[in-house]
Amino acid sequence: MKSRLPEKPKAERNPNVIGASARPIYDKSTFVEKIREMMPGSELLSKLKQTFNEGQFMLREDQRNNKLFVILEGYVSQVKESEDRNTNIGMQGPGDFIGLLSFQTGEPVFTSAKASTKVTTLSLDHESFEVFLTKFPNVSKTLQGLIFSNLADRYRSVVNLHVEVAELTKQLEAEKNHLKKTIRELERTRNALISQEKMATLGELTAGLAHEINNPASALLRSVDYLATNLPDMAQRASTLPDTGLVRFFFEIGLKREFSDTAEQRARMKELAKKFPHLNRVRIRTMAEMDFNTLECLKPFAEKQEKEEMLQLLLDAYQSGVFINGIRLSTARIEYLVKSLKSYSRQSGKEPEVADVREGIRETLQILGNRLKDINVKIDFPEIPPVRCFVGELNQVWTNLIINACDAMNDLGELYLSCGLTKDKKNVWFKVADNGPGVPEKIKKRIFDSSFTTKTASQDFGLGIGLAITQSIVEKHHGTIEVYERQGGGAEFVVTLPAER
Amino acid sequence: MSDIYIVCVEDEPQVLDVVIRDLAKLEDVFPIEVAHSADEARELIKEIKEEGNKIGLAICDHIMPGDKGVDLMIEMQKDPFTEHTRKVLLTGQAGLEETIEAVNKAKLNRYIAKPWKPQQIVEVAVDELTTYVIEQEKELLQYMAVLDQERLQEAIRSKGYV
Repeated sequence: MKSRLPEKPKAERNPNVIGASARPIYDKSTFVEKIREMMPGSELLSKLKQTFNEGQFMLREDQRNNKLFVILEGYVSQVKESEDRNTNIGMQGPGDFIGLLSFQTGEPVFTSAKASTKVTTLSLDHESFEVFLTKFPNVSKTLQGLIFSNLADRYRSVVNLHVEVAELTKQLEAEKNHLKKTIRELERTRNALISQEKMATLGELTAGLAHEINNPASALLRSVDYLATNLPDMAQRASTLPDTGLVRFFFEIGLKREFSDTAEQRARMKELAKKFPHLNRVRIRTMAEMDFNTLECLKPFAEKQEKEEMLQLLLDAYQSGVFINGIRLSTARIEYLVKSLKSYSRQSGKEPEVADVREGIRETLQILGNRLKDINVKIDFPEIPPVRCFVGELNQVWTNLIINACDAMNDLGELYLSCGLTKDKKNVWFKVADNGPGVPEKIKKRIFDSSFTTKTASQDFGLGIGLAITQSIVEKHHGTIEVYERQGGGAEFVVTLPAER
Repeated sequence: MSDIYIVCVEDEPQVLDVVIRDLAKLEDVFPIEVAHSADEARELIKEIKEEGNKIGLAICDHIMPGDKGVDLMIEMQKDPFTEHTRKVLLTGQAGLEETIEAVNKAKLNRYIAKPWKPQQIVEVAVDELTTYVIEQEKELLQYMAVLDQERLQEAIRSKGYV
């Protein structure tokens, strides 16, 4: 609020002030002029004249005062002093009074008065005031009138100030409400941005998961198809045998099939094709998967063409085992993916839970498996105390950090994940580092800002506020997140969270 | 007489198993070879070439460790040895951009989405191999047993062979 100058006394418009002399003195300037005219001829007036230098105090707040100053020349500023600052009350000029209240009431000075320029005054104490009134009757009436109008002015300005304060308070209130509304809107926008970013992450995860699930699903469907057509036939062929032990043996070998290198497999196929030139490639391929001992069991049937039916039955038994094993592996894979997804996206309750954060990171790696195919993930997770946290939210942190690392490395490189306990044993730290280009020093300070992104609009689903969200989640957990240069190149993000005792 | 190979590139062994099984009935005429990655596939292609054989059909997964399926196919398209090979993308997920790239730069012939339906992969393989032999081979009769007989007969007529 700006300081307000009291309104100029309006004595000149005041009809009450009428001088007793033939030439009435109506206003301040005429009054001052009159006094100055009279001064050279009056010993009394000359004695009452008092001057002050610029900057000199005429009155100090809280002191006693027995003088009434009438300013004849120059300007005086009135100041209300308080502990931390001084408030300028206003400027008084020729014809104005200084010390009026304290002079009249005998109470301590209310506002200090300081000469702003060189000031000439008529300085009256109670005695000289009386003398002045009787000696100069023609100006004394005007003096009284001016005093009255000065007081009236002061009263008026107090009333005006009250009105103004009330208005300003109202304005302030309105502004406060407006600000509250703006803050609420900002809050809403921020939440909308966060959920948009979450949806983008989800989109990326879903695309990856589709592939992750489609692979085992394909194997599953086609294996079941194969078995559905071949099992009844196989059972019938086996039922004519006196002993089905060998069929069972080959089925079980199939169940335990391990994969060999394709080049090696090819070499074995060539070798077997030479040994058994009458067998077709499908059979040769299947046989090439078997180890030496199994092949020895198969040899008697493979060598003679008349045993072909038995050979085919054993190979089919083996292949059935292979497919059933494939079904088992594919189902386990899908089950694991779904389980990881479920616990990954676990809706956090209102209360945090005490959890092993390493589990969350492992689940996140599972979900992101698709992005990590060409990335050599090095994990160093010693035993650490659990953390009180919202698991789903922390998983968002790992997801963001890992996806960022993948982006930085163009999906090719090394990812280092490690954890540990801080020296004071109060916190656990988790490190996500990569051997990508690292974070340039210039942008290190800004990467957690929500307005900062290195991603161009067309490049990504996300808004590029991933790290800002990451930071806000970490802060919610009373933790910190920092970025460093990894030794040997690359970026290193360290999340520190309070350990649960 | 050189063989015409079918090459399958897929990093998941279980998926590769079922692909081979689905294509088994073609194998009497078109031997199948497999690779688990683009790198393995390059070795395999080199070997087939050195043995004086050809590759009629390549079925490739897209997302694999190392080079992606589309990259491999673009490479094959540039190599005169595999330029005429029919190229099929078998994948659970390839983005639109990658697919466009495959069509434009690798002259991708077909796209099979995982999981595929029974017969779908066989039909695609038969169709593509039929196209391959009609374009590249003179003696078509030998393929009658496993490929599209109608189209082969039509081709034999128009080529003037009996």
